[in-house]
Amino acid sequence: MTFDIGNMSRRNMLKSASVAALLASSAGALVAPRRAGAEDAKTVRVLSVEDPFFFSMKAMIPEFEKETGIKVELESLSYDALQTRLVSAFVAKTSDADVIAVDQMWLGQYLDNGWIISLNDYIAKDSDIDLADFIPEVLYSSNMWRGQIATLPVAAYAQGVMYRKDIFDSFGIAAPPTKASEDWTWTKYVETLKSLEGKSFGGKPLFPTVICGSQPSPITHMFTQLSASHGANWFKSFPGAPWDFSPQLTGPAWAKSVELYRQLYKLSPPEAINYVWFDAGTRFAKGDIGMFYWWTPYFYLVKNNGYMTGKKSDVMDKYATAALPKADGVAQTVSLGGWSLGVPSSSDRQDNGYAFIKWATSKATQKKMAEWPDLNFQFSDFARKSLYEDADVKAIYPYLDVQYDMMKQGNGKITRPPVPGYTAVESVLGLTLNQLLTGSEDPKTALERTNSLFESILKGNLMIPYQKESFADTLDGAKALIGTLGKA
Amino acid sequence: MARAKTFYTALTYAAGLLFLAIFIGPILWFLALAIRPAETAFAMPPQLTFEPTFDAFRHILVDPGTNAPQLVNSLIVAIGAVLLNLPFSVPAAYALSRFKMRGKKNIMLWYLGLLMAPPIAFLIPYFVLITRVGLQGSYLSMVLVLQTLTIPFSVWLMKSFIDEVPAELEEAARVDGARWYTIMWRITLPIVRPGIIVTSMFAFVFAWNNAAFPLVLSSRSTATLPIGTLGYFATSGVTWNYIAAAAVLAMIPPMIIFLVFDRYVVRGLTFGSVKG
Amino acid sequence: MHATTIRSQRALAPVRRGFVRRNLPYLLIAPSVIMLLALIAYPLLFALRSSFYFWNLQVGPEPMAFVGLDNYVQALNAFDFRAALTNTLILSVLGTAIEFGLGLTIALVLLKALPGMNVVRALLILPTTIAPIVVGFLFRYLYDPGGGLLTWVLQSLWLPVPAEGILGSPTTALAAILFVDIWQWTPFFAIVLYASLLSVPDEIIEAARLDRASAWTILMRIKLPLIRRTATIIVMLRFMQIFNTFDTVLVLTRGGPGTSTRTLGYSLYEQGLVNFNVGLVSAQTWITVLIVNIIVALYVFFAFRNEEW
Repeated sequence: MTFDIGNMSRRNMLKSASVAALLASSAGALVAPRRAGAEDAKTVRVLSVEDPFFFSMKAMIPEFEKETGIKVELESLSYDALQTRLVSAFVAKTSDADVIAVDQMWLGQYLDNGWIISLNDYIAKDSDIDLADFIPEVLYSSNMWRGQIATLPVAAYAQGVMYRKDIFDSFGIAAPPTKASEDWTWTKYVETLKSLEGKSFGGKPLFPTVICGSQPSPITHMFTQLSASHGANWFKSFPGAPWDFSPQLTGPAWAKSVELYRQLYKLSPPEAINYVWFDAGTRFAKGDIGMFYWWTPYFYLVKNNGYMTGKKSDVMDKYATAALPKADGVAQTVSLGGWSLGVPSSSDRQDNGYAFIKWATSKATQKKMAEWPDLNFQFSDFARKSLYEDADVKAIYPYLDVQYDMMKQGNGKITRPPVPGYTAVESVLGLTLNQLLTGSEDPKTALERTNSLFESILKGNLMIPYQKESFADTLDGAKALIGTLGKA
Repeated sequence: MARAKTFYTALTYAAGLLFLAIFIGPILWFLALAIRPAETAFAMPPQLTFEPTFDAFRHILVDPGTNAPQLVNSLIVAIGAVLLNLPFSVPAAYALSRFKMRGKKNIMLWYLGLLMAPPIAFLIPYFVLITRVGLQGSYLSMVLVLQTLTIPFSVWLMKSFIDEVPAELEEAARVDGARWYTIMWRITLPIVRPGIIVTSMFAFVFAWNNAAFPLVLSSRSTATLPIGTLGYFATSGVTWNYIAAAAVLAMIPPMIIFLVFDRYVVRGLTFGSVKG
Repeated sequence: MHATTIRSQRALAPVRRGFVRRNLPYLLIAPSVIMLLALIAYPLLFALRSSFYFWNLQVGPEPMAFVGLDNYVQALNAFDFRAALTNTLILSVLGTAIEFGLGLTIALVLLKALPGMNVVRALLILPTTIAPIVVGFLFRYLYDPGGGLLTWVLQSLWLPVPAEGILGSPTTALAAILFVDIWQWTPFFAIVLYASLLSVPDEIIEAARLDRASAWTILMRIKLPLIRRTATIIVMLRFMQIFNTFDTVLVLTRGGPGTSTRTLGYSLYEQGLVNFNVGLVSAQTWITVLIVNIIVALYVFFAFRNEEW
């Protein structure tokens, strides 16, 4: 018996050769991902998050392609996956996209690290962007960092109150006001909720309210509205200069807000301790909640049963919106957040990127997104003033006056300061709040403990003492910048 | 005596049914979620009967069909991982099975020990590594990194199959003057072909089920199915029917492989250390 | 069990003594070893170097300062380190033990070899085939406090379900995570133990029966010792896997409520992919790798001490 490779029959040779060819070609396909046209100058790659605005924006993209001749490659990711992908791409200095969705929290670090570019030059040269139409509070909170406009808002969120008209009517409770007023306080809010305690409606037991208890982000997002209303500050001096990030959680406003939040939890379904963002909205849409406050996208999201289904919820015609309560004797601060679009510095098609951002944040596109009927009208997160006056849009989203009123009182830089390393302190705060809701610990003790954890984390991140340059970040400064850049 | 036996038989069957209820019931319930009307998903008490609808599958596969390309990507990545792993693991398995080596036990354990590394902590370094070699977002990046799972697994499993080939066959060829590579290529490997297929199928499942690596290594055009399921769990809402439909899609190939290769399951799962 | 293993090394004793011939086995394993070393050593060395630097991507894109062991000190003193370590150990030790016990019980039932039980055995493995992230979603649905099947089953059985939901109460959340792992991996133990018990020669058991040994004695004194090697390997594999889990925690609880379900794996995820503190997470990586290495090395030392390969 001899085995010699030379004796291989011709058939076998052919077979091996074709296998080898197949392997080689498939290996080629493996290295080059399917990126048809990605190298094309007439393309723009957009990396978005899957928030409500995404769906209507996606539906409008054929119009952008027709107008500009630029082909859009749109990709959406969940929040966690997006941040992971972006930071990895930045570190590796790759050009993964020409437009990226930037959370308000990420703006400062992205710009300071040189990962996204300032749009100041583009905007200054642009004659028809109508910068003055943007709500200054929104631009200030979400888009400006150190005097640069680095992103433009595609979906701006404030917080507001949603309540059940039918329930309030049947128990003879006065409807909360649609305009902010000195009488509409958090104390009043809790009193109103208490009058719903232990009640049933339509044969079902009723919960006065619902909160988010899940750590770290959801509970922080909801709680910080309460604490900002009470004048609580995270840091000794920020956003005003000189920046000093010594934590201030031991102040009385924090403890008071925790007490209040605890009360709100007692008036909520117990499982709310594990509720993330959408759980609170979904619960309200199910029909056994009297009143709650949350991000303004829920003004329209609670109309729907299911997120991407477009099916109407039970409360579709039974709820109304109201102004956010304020604290006695403290000027109101509303939490602002939302999504903006920016251009990565690694992109080699930055012009296309800006063209897309300009289009997506324009009045015309935002209006069309709002009028897109699929998913039962799922977009009213305007950052542009004129849309709040637009009769067509107001006919679809009757609550726009309330929302605009909240926006104008907004300051996202105080409620959740977008400082580098924010998530690390947020996870500690979220954990403490979550523990305080179910536990019996004294808020003061817990906050003192958290304060010292904040301090050690911030010191570990070289934020205390702050060594870089400060920037006096004020709303007036923002307005001045809008004035200068918008003069084109 | 006979009565006692009947009793035990009945008891055994009852236990069997209980096992099925506990371990298979939840899977069927998830399958039901994918085809039930959305509004019955959280009905209390649970609704067993409903009008089945394939809307969710239509949504994920056809219109807009976000997950259809991801299904293809998952296939490409998993098959690629298996194909790349063979030229590395088969020779190693052959050597570990056939030759006398110093420290063989330690080498074998070393392969297993690699599985101790926490994959989640390696995502950032892997991303940096993959980018340095210019492969970011490509299928090959995932295929490469998946080798940390597939090679150790395949070496162990393949070794167990090669161990079973009688040495006499090779001995005869050796006496006839055949070289070791001829022997390996023309005698041993054809005999263990079923073993290679089984190894490949299970390696496929490991690669298919991996969600951590694609999280940072994939791009829009190369994202795999587990990433797709995550997409329906957004901050503003969750669409359970779509999650379930995408999840069912992701479950099917591994399940088919395990059912078809039933007699090799034990061997596959124990890295070949139990013959089954 | 290893009756089929053929010791053929001597049969292929090298004839010529060239370099290739002499080192052939090592040359054959070299490609796989080099490939794996490249893929594992890179991240480990990357982590080792980074762990001595202050490098937080949220603060700056490049490593900013050499800080010595500071990251290790921070990692060990982190507010969640002790909770994460305890939970991880509870999950991996209890999980492995319960899965082994339940799996053995199921294996013994399957061994009765009644007609039809083959179908049960074939189907039983299905949970093990599902991707962990999908299992996470499956159980998030089952545990839902409002309309989850498991919540309903427990309530129907008059068992107390915490008002906050199974995942919402610190008393049940960790158990719920543990249950998910048990659900997914008990079948694995059952099937593997079944197969190895099947390979125990009948004669030995018959002989023991003739000596009037009880079923329990036969199991403990004869069957289990005979499948010892299998048992040791699957226990080790499983332990290492649970030790690193984070997918289920991420989807089900994000470590909450409080710190009750935080694990080392989740902590790594949070510091790495949420906070992007590369320096700190690198130190955590090395701490985790060292802990699991020590445990597994001790285990391997005692379990395989007398094994021939």
